[in-house]
Amino acid sequence: MTENDREVLRVAGLSGDTARWSRTFDYLIIVVAAFLVLAVTYINFLLLAGDWDFFTDFKDRQYWVVIYPIVQIMMAAAFQAVFWTLFRLPFGATASAFLFGLGVWLVRYHSWMGMAHFPLTLVVPGTFMVGAMILDGILTVSRAWLVTGLFGGTLFGITFYASNWIVFAPYFQPVENMGQLSSLADVIGYVFPRAGTPEYIRIIERGTLRTFSDSSTWVSVFFSCFICIFMYMLWWLIGAFACKAASVPTGDRFKLLFGMKPAEATK
Amino acid sequence: MKKLIKRLLVACLGLSAVLGGGGDLLPAMVEAHGERATEPYIRTRTVHWYDMTWSKDSIAVNDTYTIKGKFRLFSDWPDAAARPELLYVSAYGPGAVLTRVESRLNGLPAQQSFRGGELGRDYEFEITMKGRVPGRWHVHTIVQVEGAGAIVGPGKWIEVTGSASDYKQSLETMTGNKIDDLQTYKVADAQRYHLFLGAFALAWLLWWLRRPLIIPRWLAIQKGRSDLLVRPIDDKVAAAMVGVMLLITVVGYHNATQAYPYTVPLRGGWTKIPTQPLPEEKVRVDLTHAEYDVPGRSLRMRANITNTLDKPVRIGEFMTAELRFINKALPAAVANVTPGYPQELLPGQGLKVDNDLLAPGETRSVYIEATDAVWEVERLVSFLSDVDSRIGGLVFFWDEKGERYVSELHGPIVPVIKGHGTHMSM
Ligand SMILES: [Cu+2]
Repeated sequence: MTENDREVLRVAGLSGDTARWSRTFDYLIIVVAAFLVLAVTYINFLLLAGDWDFFTDFKDRQYWVVIYPIVQIMMAAAFQAVFWTLFRLPFGATASAFLFGLGVWLVRYHSWMGMAHFPLTLVVPGTFMVGAMILDGILTVSRAWLVTGLFGGTLFGITFYASNWIVFAPYFQPVENMGQLSSLADVIGYVFPRAGTPEYIRIIERGTLRTFSDSSTWVSVFFSCFICIFMYMLWWLIGAFACKAASVPTGDRFKLLFGMKPAEATK
Repeated sequence: MKKLIKRLLVACLGLSAVLGGGGDLLPAMVEAHGERATEPYIRTRTVHWYDMTWSKDSIAVNDTYTIKGKFRLFSDWPDAAARPELLYVSAYGPGAVLTRVESRLNGLPAQQSFRGGELGRDYEFEITMKGRVPGRWHVHTIVQVEGAGAIVGPGKWIEVTGSASDYKQSLETMTGNKIDDLQTYKVADAQRYHLFLGAFALAWLLWWLRRPLIIPRWLAIQKGRSDLLVRPIDDKVAAAMVGVMLLITVVGYHNATQAYPYTVPLRGGWTKIPTQPLPEEKVRVDLTHAEYDVPGRSLRMRANITNTLDKPVRIGEFMTAELRFINKALPAAVANVTPGYPQELLPGQGLKVDNDLLAPGETRSVYIEATDAVWEVERLVSFLSDVDSRIGGLVFFWDEKGERYVSELHGPIVPVIKGHGTHMSM
């Protein structure tokens, strides 16, 4: 325990048994919060981004690049707001990205490979850990959510594509399949058939983006950055609002359990 | 304290509420074999599969077999299903137990979907599959139509023997990179990279979690001492973390583009199906009456049949929903059933016809009967509860020389409910 830790405990008025009790409470909350952060991030992504990150041959340079970061920055921002507003803990985004990664790999192994016999090459997931750590870092240094939204949001969008290309570049090597030019990802999707997922269900570069030709990925990236900034701000506000609401009753017994007099605790 | 607990709880509840909460964490696994659950109007009036052959019944892991055949996009396509403007042809079992080697529609590679399917026309396909997971698998051909869903063809069991670990699919990219196994290529690299980032993330989380956490920090904020909670050292670590992340990204991205200078985007376009000449119906079938005898499990039809050929023909087969009712009195029709055709799709009693020899140029009313419990087993009788209550199928005729003529049959159908008897007979 550092000098700073002791000072925090002193200011909080916790010492001896109460400090130990509070540490036990910390561990409990960590477990519960971890599960909650994982579930909320995962469900949010499933609902809003659907299957864009499921399959390697769904990760196109237009929609995947735009939709993935926009959806993931929502929960990153909301959890940042909750943990920062209540406890000055700047790790909401990292927690969300780290736990999401854990959950995603678990499902990849259990359901995709275990139940549907898909090889992992078909279902390699993307990650937003780089962007999340940048968001948390900027929030720590700036202590201001607007600054985090502006700079962090931009970097979140840019680093998503660049930091995932490290993994996915090899899957976009050119391959000849039945006399047609294909990417390796397309071939993997072709070789390992998906029941109930016809090819036309993939939404690959629709609209006028193709006119940008080779630079179309970066057009998507910058569009994504722009939306990320606003998404961040919106979801920070939603997270902060959630902290303000107060309607769940907690009795005196609960407070006494932590060695506090009810009257003091609410001071 | 009270405020803290409240806020914590409400924050969590609020977030989950905003997201709609709950739900399944696992992706919905779409299992195959919904064939009997598909609506009868889809199964009897959209895609009719015929001349199907399967090159093998049993293969070893890494061996291949080929499914070939034709399908007719039926003229009396139901209004309730979208027209086949965009379709995808494939074969599938439960998951990727077999892998695709090659597939063609009218000779063109069928990696992507096709535009412009036309009603009343035949399409030829060919699909080669390779054994991957040992077991006995029910494999169906399938046409997926945008807006109408999956329309499955006859299911056929294939036995895959050997060991799944022997499966291998290797290929060479156009830049000369040899990929040893398509199932695992670069997966370990991806996992290492995610673990590497995960280690940083975990370190950052522990950096904060090891300190007095929830209650002390909350109380410190309440007492106006949030200055204690983020220390100068935290600022330095945070700044370093941002720097390291940017460095990893820039260096990693640079290396990736150096290592793979030639990449191509995902395939996005669709192919127009080359149109083949509209099949000419040399023998016309106009359904005049059709009824389904519910207790007797019997489909009875009367049709005006016109033979425009210069030779006599006879009815050999009526086919609908992959069920083939064969006129066993006609050797050419019996011979047309390949030995490998799934027995459960060949009703034992076959097809009954009366006086079906049609002279050249003749038009005559002919009685056709298809009786079998299979109507119930395959859950096809709910056409009686459809909004349009129609029946459709293909009728196959043969001349004396053994040449075959294919005609479509479609029209309204009425039920015969117990006790009311039939008003139709031979
Ligand atoms: Cu089946």
